Amino acid sequence: MVFSRLFFIYIFLPVCLLCYALARGTKAKNLVLIVFSLIFYAWGEPVYIFLMLTTAAVNYGAGLLIGKYQGQRGNTAATVIAVTYDLLMLGVFKYSGFIVENINALFSSSIPVPDIRLPIGISFYTFQTISYIIDCHWEKVKPQKSFGKYLLFLTLFPQLVAGPIVRYSTIEKEINERKIELSDVSYGLNRVALGLGKKVLLANQLSIIADSFLGNISSSTMFGAWYGAIAYGLQIYFDFSGYSDIAIGLGRIFGFHFDENFDHPFICRDITEFWQRWHISLSTFFRDYVLYIPIFGKRRKYGGLFLVWLCTGIWHGASWNFIIWGLYYGIFVFIEMLIGKKRMKKIPVVIRHIYSKLVIIIGFGIFYFEKLGKLGTFFKTAFGFGENGFLAVQDRISVINNMYLLTVAVICCFPVIKLVKQTADKHFVTKAAVSSAAAVAAALLLIVTSIMLVASTANPFLYFRF
Amino acid sequence: MTDNKNKNSLPEPSISIEASDRAGASIDVSIKPKKLKKQQRKKALNFISLANIVAISAIFAGGFVYVTLLPHETKADDENRYLTKFPEFSAKSYASGEFTEGVADYFDDTVHDRAHIKEFISDYIMQLKGRKYGADGEEAELFGSGFEKKAAVITTAPVTTAASVSTSVTTAVPEATTAPAEEAPADGELTNNILIVNKRGVTLYSGAWGAEQEYASYVSLYKEKLPDVNVYSMVLPTSSSFYLPEKYQNLAYSEKEDFDRLDAALHNVIPIDAYSILDAHKDEAIYSRTDHHWQPLGAYYAAQQFALTAGVPYPELSEYETVTLPGYVGTLYMYTQSATLMNNPEDFVYYKPKTPVTVTQYNTRFENPVAANLLLDPSYMANSGYYMVFGADERIVHVNTECKNGRTLVIFKDSYGNALLPMLTGSFENIYLCDIRYFDLNAVDFINRVGATDLLFAMCSFSAVGGNRNCIYNNLTK
Repeated sequence: MVFSRLFFIYIFLPVCLLCYALARGTKAKNLVLIVFSLIFYAWGEPVYIFLMLTTAAVNYGAGLLIGKYQGQRGNTAATVIAVTYDLLMLGVFKYSGFIVENINALFSSSIPVPDIRLPIGISFYTFQTISYIIDCHWEKVKPQKSFGKYLLFLTLFPQLVAGPIVRYSTIEKEINERKIELSDVSYGLNRVALGLGKKVLLANQLSIIADSFLGNISSSTMFGAWYGAIAYGLQIYFDFSGYSDIAIGLGRIFGFHFDENFDHPFICRDITEFWQRWHISLSTFFRDYVLYIPIFGKRRKYGGLFLVWLCTGIWHGASWNFIIWGLYYGIFVFIEMLIGKKRMKKIPVVIRHIYSKLVIIIGFGIFYFEKLGKLGTFFKTAFGFGENGFLAVQDRISVINNMYLLTVAVICCFPVIKLVKQTADKHFVTKAAVSSAAAVAAALLLIVTSIMLVASTANPFLYFRF
Repeated sequence: MTDNKNKNSLPEPSISIEASDRAGASIDVSIKPKKLKKQQRKKALNFISLANIVAISAIFAGGFVYVTLLPHETKADDENRYLTKFPEFSAKSYASGEFTEGVADYFDDTVHDRAHIKEFISDYIMQLKGRKYGADGEEAELFGSGFEKKAAVITTAPVTTAASVSTSVTTAVPEATTAPAEEAPADGELTNNILIVNKRGVTLYSGAWGAEQEYASYVSLYKEKLPDVNVYSMVLPTSSSFYLPEKYQNLAYSEKEDFDRLDAALHNVIPIDAYSILDAHKDEAIYSRTDHHWQPLGAYYAAQQFALTAGVPYPELSEYETVTLPGYVGTLYMYTQSATLMNNPEDFVYYKPKTPVTVTQYNTRFENPVAANLLLDPSYMANSGYYMVFGADERIVHVNTECKNGRTLVIFKDSYGNALLPMLTGSFENIYLCDIRYFDLNAVDFINRVGATDLLFAMCSFSAVGGNRNCIYNNLTK
């Protein structure tokens, strides 16, 4: 099931919220959430729910063993078995086709390519459970003894299928006991409305521009290639951060405090900062669990960096362009590391902004084109070696036809809401006024978004495919 | 009452501050305990939060009632399709996820008063995206990015068939297809870029780029295999050739230039110049403004040109009964959801032959004959149009006429060709109408089997030089 459809917003969610409100006590509320999370997942994946439940059982069991054999060999064995199982499942269901295709291409073999449909959300819940197992192994968290509570952690539907990757440590206490304030619920509802608005009103409309210009890259002008890549970058940002807003908002309504997943990434001044602001839960996952894997010996600083960016690329999809995309960012982070933070800061801010935006826009071009031939055409066109010149009438028409949409999208990349809120919070009157305005804005946004959804068929979030 | 209240209430604590520079001047400042103030503020903020929750909850509740309890729509007149039906449950459909997705699709697709909500979106919300480009009554909206050039001419024989388009969300109306997507060519060749200008949607022609040579070679193959049959090729221009204002003409390639190259490449196939006659009548309503098809009047002129070349009689337009369907909004609105098109419907005018004909409809294997009407009754859809009058493409139609000249015509066509059929009922004794995309026989065997004297390829430029051209070749290999 996806969030951006009327069925979810006006049938599944209200029924779920009503049941949750009627449930008394944390135990009953947890039960409601587990049942609705399983329904949510099974709605689109009736068969793969067994895969998820098996993953839950294996990791829950491993967690118990890790706790039981603390400081003994069994601890490591359980960790290795659980992590291997998780990676194996991810490998089989997400990468087997890609691997076989490449083996066939490399060795001219004809191994049948497995046609396995990607289970929704597998990349997200696998990483969640890996973080749980490793944190248990490192004794950062105590293994959860209740299977129900563990299942709740893994299957909680707000973040189940497209993140953020929630650590067990983040919600450990709230699984056992949580207090829900009125302000939590209103904040959560407003955040859900904001996320839906980002997805439906911005991302979906920007996708039309992106597909028009990047989808027809061989007929695009140089301007068209950049314009399409910018529209695509904005689309992905509003799509994915919109989903995270909904997840965080729903979490808050249910009494959970998930960490932020995006922090206005486009205001970054360099690529390192970009990745501190973009898909934060993934970056921190790799930082905490992959960067310092001691497999590169003395060169582990750079080896780890390479591994992180390779993994970042592969995680996003079983395709070469994603691997290139990951390594592409890795190169810039590496260069910035070589330059050093102090020297980077000495470079004029304007130049750093221009540099980082150019890298990011080209990065989205790489992200878009799964066919390498088309990616080559994109590069040629973007750097002035295309066949269609710099600017054409269709570019001008598109910009004018979408000028307000583009303006609003760019403004929304800045932390406007955050700044207004911070300023308003200093005085009671302004705080009350802004809170009231936010309530009205959220209600309007929800209504307009719903109206827009009437005219569209279900529009899955892009990150579903990862 | 007020006095009593004042009497009973305790005076607010206050301190008197005397101004040091002015004797006797002092102000009273009331003191509220800090805690009380904090509590009151928290109360006020809680009230706002509560109001917020009530407002959003009311929207959820209202939405729930609207989506679930209000009558569900069953058809969309503006899209010429029936809306999604509630799925039937089976273990298989549940296991595959079809059932659950179908349930969600049903609620999403059948919202009460859907048409008016869509109109509201077109009229108000979509207008917020930006401005129309240009001025002077030629303001334009572009859907898509322009055109796609082919990198190289393909010379090898194609083996693919045109992809049929289906959607799990929509249910096609019987005898009608849901969208012109059937015309969509193979990936990466032609694109459906639409410019809306002067209240007209124009599908921009993106050039043949050598594909016209392929088309010509395939059609010529038919003549080679059928030396005794008159083979004609009539590639039909689209509105892209006639209705683009000058300043937008570089958005589309020239169909005429491609047609000239195509005709020159034909071997022993007789080219029919529909372009010139349509150009001569372009000020009449020969193309739909809101649909990617032509209007039946355009088909009348093109068929006239064909009849002239084929040396067969051709009735005057006055010999037909004229039927006008007002309020027609066609497929281009479905593509673009443009308020300009929605708010400027057109008349769909078609012509019924007065002479009786016998029509038999077969499946695409030329089996299961059933009696049919030459033109369908469009009355059961309010905004009926092209498909509702001329019917679906996935069939073979045989028309036996009162024109006893011994001539049997086979037409291989796309949806443009459907409109030719009624116009030729006074010209040939037998007509077989076959769609190049939905034909499951060997074309030569079929033509021999029905004893054709004439074979006409009639399709629009997008089909002739797009992916559909491969079907022409593939139909020889079945």
